[in-house]
Amino acid sequence: MKKTRFMAIILCIFLLPPAMAADRPSKPMPAETPELIEQGHEIYTRRCSFCHGLLGDGNGPAADYMDPRPRDFTLGTFKFRTTQSGELPINEDLFRTVSRGLSGTAMQSFDRDMIKNGLTEDQRWAVIAYIKTFAMEFADPDFDPYQQIVPFPTERAPYNEDTIARGKIIFERAKCWECHGKLGRGDGLKAFDKTDDWGFPIRIRNVTHPWKIKAGIEVEDIYMRFSTGINGTPMPSFVEALTEEERWDLANFIKSLQHKLTGHQVLDVRSIDGDVPGDPDDPRWAEASPMDIRLTGQATAAPRWQNASIEMVTLKAVFNSTEIAFLIEWDDPFKDVVHKAEMEFDPAAITPVGAFNSYVQANDMIPRQLETFRDSIALQFPVKPVDGTRKPHFLRGSGSQPVHLWVWNADLDAQDMPAVTEAIARGWKQPPKLQTAEQQQITSTAAWDQGRWRVVMKRPLVTEDKIDVQFVPGKFIPMAINAWDGSNGEHRLIMSVSSWYYLTLEAPTPPAPFIYAGLAILFTGLFGVRLTRKAQMKPEQASAPDRESEFT
Amino acid sequence: MKNLKVGRFGSVVLTLLIVYAIIKWLIPAVSRQITGLPFPLTVPGTLVFIYMLLTIVALFMYVTFSDESIAEFKAPVTRFLRGEYGILPRNAVLVIVPLLVGWQVYDTMAPQLELPASLRIQHPSSNFPGEFETLENPLANPSPAEVAAFIQQASSGQPALIPQLMPDMEAWLSENPDLPWLAAIATAPVKRFLDELESGNVDNANARTALLEKRLFEGRALYAMNCRPCHGDSAGGDGPIADGLKLRPIDFTDIGTIETVVEGYTFWRVSTGGQALPLEATPWDSGMPEWQLNLTEKERWMIILAEYDLAEKTPRIPESH
Repeated sequence: MKKTRFMAIILCIFLLPPAMAADRPSKPMPAETPELIEQGHEIYTRRCSFCHGLLGDGNGPAADYMDPRPRDFTLGTFKFRTTQSGELPINEDLFRTVSRGLSGTAMQSFDRDMIKNGLTEDQRWAVIAYIKTFAMEFADPDFDPYQQIVPFPTERAPYNEDTIARGKIIFERAKCWECHGKLGRGDGLKAFDKTDDWGFPIRIRNVTHPWKIKAGIEVEDIYMRFSTGINGTPMPSFVEALTEEERWDLANFIKSLQHKLTGHQVLDVRSIDGDVPGDPDDPRWAEASPMDIRLTGQATAAPRWQNASIEMVTLKAVFNSTEIAFLIEWDDPFKDVVHKAEMEFDPAAITPVGAFNSYVQANDMIPRQLETFRDSIALQFPVKPVDGTRKPHFLRGSGSQPVHLWVWNADLDAQDMPAVTEAIARGWKQPPKLQTAEQQQITSTAAWDQGRWRVVMKRPLVTEDKIDVQFVPGKFIPMAINAWDGSNGEHRLIMSVSSWYYLTLEAPTPPAPFIYAGLAILFTGLFGVRLTRKAQMKPEQASAPDRESEFT
Repeated sequence: MKNLKVGRFGSVVLTLLIVYAIIKWLIPAVSRQITGLPFPLTVPGTLVFIYMLLTIVALFMYVTFSDESIAEFKAPVTRFLRGEYGILPRNAVLVIVPLLVGWQVYDTMAPQLELPASLRIQHPSSNFPGEFETLENPLANPSPAEVAAFIQQASSGQPALIPQLMPDMEAWLSENPDLPWLAAIATAPVKRFLDELESGNVDNANARTALLEKRLFEGRALYAMNCRPCHGDSAGGDGPIADGLKLRPIDFTDIGTIETVVEGYTFWRVSTGGQALPLEATPWDSGMPEWQLNLTEKERWMIILAEYDLAEKTPRIPESH
């Protein structure tokens, strides 16, 4: 009896669904009474006002530094809804956004099930009641959003090859690529210099990076985005142009474009016969195993930057007896091949102690435009071989622990000049120091196509130079990346950085494991044969073993 | 077990399989229910080894407690080796088992791509300067003189706020010209204080609470401007630029973070940042800035005051007290 009860409990625990976060309310919004609004006002003051402003106009003290800017609630224009284009959101839409947050933006989840000090369901309703007081439209019955809900299709085709293929045809027919690019990387012809209703520049979403997709990455979420449009932006609604089924297929196709990160932290570098590939289009790259590296805005040292555009770099490498070659790939919707040094930002005003803020503003301090700064990428290695896990600091090392930078510059590449400069950095406080002409040994080839840079860098495995990284098979060599997107205003410390990763060159397997494995097989085999013989001699017919049934 | 007719050998094999299944799948599945985290907690390899070893020892005792029991255990093995269950399965086992053993030996001996293990101590104290141990947040306990000055400021038309909050405050004042500036901070302690101020009957304790509320408001603004990009809106270590950092920004709402250290320690970490950490705390992986280069001492204390409040935590009390 006891046993069965115990088993039943275990079974119950096993079968329960994992704890789900509540982005759907358990009950409808309570009546928007003055008390509820006052409670919401208090929560808003403590939790929301620093970004969205005391007046709800999106002008809080932190707002100037972030892109996208916090929502201005006073206009009643909300991006993420389940209502027709141009309409207000329903209460549940606001509840979903407050609960889940918007991925890739400064708006995080406020759901107490997700964040320990988040807001309860009642608190979220209270703050929503207060937010709705900022825009008069919410009080006007003519704008009732519940009359404008966009339904989900009754028949939802499964996510499979057929629906994805059908969705791809619709992607082409509906001209999604004009803005989002043929491969969804946000590099369409019409992509640059789009502005929103507030006049702030917006970038077209690269739909292949799921962590940047604000209002959800599932097929349902994607379906809603082009069924409702994104108010205040050039993203239209396709509710008239496409049927429900077509939009569902299109959502399946967009879902299929989402990149899956590789997840590992050691780049496996294999040896190849013959020359290492010098061109990004060399078919032999297909055989090298890739490693995705996540990057983020450089915020460790002033000038700080929280709006980096390059958030992932994919790396491959191969070597032969004399050389190593890296293939570095990253998405960048615009090819920026000029550099105007005189336009560079002077951080002197924002770096001293007690300056207003040490972050670079999203729009007013630096030009985020075409034809101003170059695209660039740098591989970073420790100068000294590492001792255990001890490394230089990931941001440019330090005086006693310098790092070696291989900086590729798109402007030099475009002028057919040697595009990679080797430099030594001793901390972020002074710029990296270029090595002498004879120490520059890296050659490169680059190509930009469909919103993606692909750069090959090549260098001898071992150099004479004492302050260069040396590639010895079988060793773990730390490696990090710095990246700059010129048309995003990036240059110098206004850049993307990665933490340390590793690479290791494959070393031939020594003979010992083969020898020991062979011996193990031999001994276990003999032991098995001996056991069998012993078994056959056993009790009943203990006399002579039956030779005929013996293992042969 | 006997009435199921699996025999002694069968029950030993079954027990091993069940124990392994519990360790490998049931415990992680249950852990997921208990922690509510979106991923299971797997049992570490060494622990799996110890559990399986204990099970084998127990089973060995179970099998060897009498001669009959040993004989019963051995009978099906012997029959199998004699080929009574078929010659082909027996020969197959005799070939496959040595190969599996050989593969295991090769696998453990061959060089593998594994990260050098990196152990990290989260609250290192080897280079924590002693004088910080007893530091108190100068903003946490306003003096009577500070409270009196605050009452004066509240009655005046001139907001007494950090400059970072002034543009938003001025916009608010132009929309609300009839309200005192402090009313922009629409929280219960401030409202109570403003009511008392209007009636001319100010309770000093309430004024002190309102002053702390104003300081928290300033601290939260500075937190939102400086710390939020990494540590997140709600101090959950989940800011928009946190994902690219392999050593994730600390989640202050987690137990065992800011509540296990004294305020002076938090002040030292905020002031000197990741690069001042001792080697056991892997300073090379920390993106934490050296904030003394950019924020005044007062700004840093304001942020710390607000950070504990936002995370719903209190600092540890210094031991000398």
